[in-house]
Amino acid sequence: MQYDHDVIIIGAGPSGATVSRLLAQNGLDVMVFDKRKELGEPVRCGEGLGIREAVAQNIDIPKQCISTDIHGAKVISPDGSEIVWRDKETTGWVLERKMFDKWLMEQAVHKGARVQSYTRVTDLVYKDGKPQGVVVSHGAREPYEVTAPLIVSAEGMESQIARKAGFRALSTLYDVDTCYQYEMQEYDHENLIELYFGTEAAPRGYVWIFPKADKKANVGVGIGAHLETGMKDGGLKGATPKDFLDKFIENHPQLKNASKLQDFGGIISVGAPIDSFVKDNFLVVGTGARQVDPIHGGGIALAMEAGVIAANTILKAHNTKDYSESLLKEYETIWRAGPGKKVAKRLLLRKVLEAASDDDFNHIFKSITDKDLNKVMNGNFAGPVAKVVAGRPQLVSLLKALVS
Amino acid sequence: MPIEINHSRCIQCIGCASVCPTGAIELDGLRMVFHPEKCISCGTCVKGCPANAIKFLPKVGEEKKEE
Repeated sequence: MQYDHDVIIIGAGPSGATVSRLLAQNGLDVMVFDKRKELGEPVRCGEGLGIREAVAQNIDIPKQCISTDIHGAKVISPDGSEIVWRDKETTGWVLERKMFDKWLMEQAVHKGARVQSYTRVTDLVYKDGKPQGVVVSHGAREPYEVTAPLIVSAEGMESQIARKAGFRALSTLYDVDTCYQYEMQEYDHENLIELYFGTEAAPRGYVWIFPKADKKANVGVGIGAHLETGMKDGGLKGATPKDFLDKFIENHPQLKNASKLQDFGGIISVGAPIDSFVKDNFLVVGTGARQVDPIHGGGIALAMEAGVIAANTILKAHNTKDYSESLLKEYETIWRAGPGKKVAKRLLLRKVLEAASDDDFNHIFKSITDKDLNKVMNGNFAGPVAKVVAGRPQLVSLLKALVS
Repeated sequence: MPIEINHSRCIQCIGCASVCPTGAIELDGLRMVFHPEKCISCGTCVKGCPANAIKFLPKVGEEKKEE
């Protein structure tokens, strides 16, 4: 049959932009639909990106997409003791996510991809039992069909179409953190990421302060969405991150006098990737597939990494005109053997952290030094872990979960 | 109608939509839309909403039906 495009991509976030750029660059006819009125809006994210992650992507992020450079981290325990890790080199950036998403998509358009915003994909079109197109609705125009032999869902958390295609792209409350964040000013920061732990500040989560340009900062909290920390409108108990954030700010010597420039919020996945990423003529990539770091819920780098892997497999599918699940499975296999392994480890670590009490946290913070933190950041866990465990046999069982 | 979205509190984070087991809430442009025919009154969206923008309404109609 004659198709309108080679590939249809749903969603113009980091994964959709990456896949479309790489495919267009190889001469494929790529159409990207995004339901947002303006790409990059609304921002629902802490906007942090590690430098290693960007280097691995081989992308040169322009200045306007970066709010500020990061030079390390400060981690604060429940009893207030802190560990500071400072680096002369830039360790990462806090992005202007709005600009970044748009810029990424522009790179794809430069290569020949087409994008259409404010266009909602409402359904799949099946022919011979396989998805061969989508139904889209754009403003007041009557919904219409667009066809392609391959549909890529890069939809993010919501993943309505991936769900319609039969993927279990649904998170339970236990596997998500519900988050609230303000962009605040003035905050005298030292270009360090600040993280506050403890059940009082953030049960099953943490408070973050991500520095931005001009004495601004993203101040946010994420807590386990399954927790019932407050009363919701209508009398149901539920997680109330905004209450925790407001309390944190009230008790913070500097932030209590700072202004709030913007409210953001959202739900981040801290669970496992979905059980399958591909079906005949359909593929899921990025946060929709829950390719997300289970500790901090960050998904930009993982989404782009998965986008590269997916694009390589899609090129093979295009060249052989074989869009079967068995061919597309290559993307899933490579992902699970690479980034997927890291994600699985981080998921275990999240469960260990979740089991640690405030007291455990305080102990961990007292036993390790800034030097140890540096080691841990570079992937060398053995020394610091031995030190931590020395005083606390009960932590051994927690850590065993990590190695087993 | 089992829930009511307070659009002035809503921050369009799609949290509700990503935990809703039946896809009864969707983002359309810059606004969340609720499809009552798909809702099963489980309250998951209400519990997860970071902005407390969804109100859970007592199921008056359904209780009557059961009697």
